[in-house]
Amino acid sequence: MSDTFALGCNYEGDYGLKMLYVSPDSTMKEVADIARQHIAGVFVAEPKPGVELRVRRHGEEEFLPESLKVSEAGFIQMDTVDIIHVSAAQA
Amino acid sequence: MEIKNADWYDLLQDTNWTPKYVTEEELFPPQLSDPYGIPVSEWETFDEPYKVTYRDYVKTQREKDVGAYSVKAAVSRVDFYKQSDPGWKAVLQMHFGAVPFLEYGSVSAFARITRFGKGPGMRNMASFGTLDEIRHTQIQMYFAYEFLSVDRAFDWCQKGPNTDNWVIMSERHCFDDIEHTRDAVTSAVMLNFAFEQGFTNLQFVALSADAKRYGDFSFATMLQTVQSDEARHSQIGEPLIEILVRNGRKEEAQKLVDISFWRVWKQFSALSGIAFDYYTPLAHREFSLKEFVQEFVTTQFLRNLKALGLEKPWYWEEHFLPDVETYHHAQQIGIYMYRDTEWWDPIAGVSPQEREWLEKKYPGWNDTFGKVWDVITENAAQGRTERLTPTIIPVMCGMTGFELTGVAGSKWNVKDYTLDLDGRRYHFGSPVDKWIFEQDPARYKNYYGFTDRLANGMIPADEGLFEYMDMSPEERGTCGMGFKWADPVKRAA
Repeated sequence: MSDTFALGCNYEGDYGLKMLYVSPDSTMKEVADIARQHIAGVFVAEPKPGVELRVRRHGEEEFLPESLKVSEAGFIQMDTVDIIHVSAAQA
Repeated sequence: MEIKNADWYDLLQDTNWTPKYVTEEELFPPQLSDPYGIPVSEWETFDEPYKVTYRDYVKTQREKDVGAYSVKAAVSRVDFYKQSDPGWKAVLQMHFGAVPFLEYGSVSAFARITRFGKGPGMRNMASFGTLDEIRHTQIQMYFAYEFLSVDRAFDWCQKGPNTDNWVIMSERHCFDDIEHTRDAVTSAVMLNFAFEQGFTNLQFVALSADAKRYGDFSFATMLQTVQSDEARHSQIGEPLIEILVRNGRKEEAQKLVDISFWRVWKQFSALSGIAFDYYTPLAHREFSLKEFVQEFVTTQFLRNLKALGLEKPWYWEEHFLPDVETYHHAQQIGIYMYRDTEWWDPIAGVSPQEREWLEKKYPGWNDTFGKVWDVITENAAQGRTERLTPTIIPVMCGMTGFELTGVAGSKWNVKDYTLDLDGRRYHFGSPVDKWIFEQDPARYKNYYGFTDRLANGMIPADEGLFEYMDMSPEERGTCGMGFKWADPVKRAA
């Protein structure tokens, strides 16, 4: 399996979609972290204290489990995910 | 003794040929000429609103050229350019890289209409259109090249179309679609009516107004003289649509207008919208994009549509009108931040006074796109230049070739409209872009846009990206103001 997986990243607050390169073994938590590294503080303000980032399939309501890997999520190349700010209490 | 035009024009306009050695179909293959099966007798009723003879054309065009080139000669353009505001420099750099090659392409489109148009009047008008577009290419390249000695960006006037720069790719996709890969009738509806009548006023009349206010009389005169030709040859579209509607092809005509209008809107929204609302120095702005669109597009174009018996495009209220208030704002963020992928030096255009103007013209701007600019501005004010060059690449819409964008900030709303076809995932920034693809998937499905090429490895996602676009380090855009636009914020802190 290729060691790179491309996802479309729809980061809450940003103006448009970005291309995120992750690993098939990346967990959803790691996907959110990678997105944050590139986007928070560049296009969108850093998450406030007590706020976490969660991943969901684009347009869906339910968040994907943080430990779920990209290879287990059933994504295809350039599938799109939303990265959403959630208070730690709600996460 | 000079014969008056009125004595012979109508006779000559109707002059046509009945082929004897080849069939009508061989002379005018439907796929190049008229796939709608309109009888020749109908085509011979083509009656153009503006009538011009070659003798008059040459005389008028010469007078126009004397006017435009003499204004240029009177004003030292190089000194004017050197002293110009960085925003105005960005307008000129962007315009001269993005527009002349499209004019040159239109030479070929008009020439094809000249050859394959079945109506004699249509062929006659298109032949003048061909000459017009040669003139537009020449005059814009000539004006651009004067700046070559002081700014490398103007080399892209000629170089651009020979590259795979993402902006150029986007333009090529749009204009290849509407005017270079279709029959003469379809091209004329899409090019002359939807594109030229719908939008050239934005780039050539509205921008001319801003240019005059800025004091760039040479550029203003050039734009106006180009538009005077557009006003004439864009009239090819109207009698053409009348013939289509009269011959039971109203639905087809409507769809052609709907497709072309949206495709061209996206191009002009980014090109003209950013020039009006961000690059033109604040004190010299005539109107906002929204106001110009209201005057030149919403009012005039809809009036023309109605007069021809066509409807507003189906997406007008739900997608076009909101887009006028949002799309170019999103694009401006990306064009500024990914400036090194462009041949011009973008500016931010978001000083406190400019933001006040944007909020006034687009209520809610500060709470949406302004939120992204808050982050960028703070980075610029604090000297965090590493955060002013993104480390992540945007996803492009599979139709427009521009970034797939929506609304930012507190009213965040970015949607990816996807389509799966033959094992491939396509991404679109709006339902309209997706709808256009769905009208003729075979036309579009084999194209690989910038994002697709990145995703499949055709373009390396590192420094190789610039090599792919044939951009040496010296050719890559930098902030036209060296980030000094954030100084007021730094001082206030």
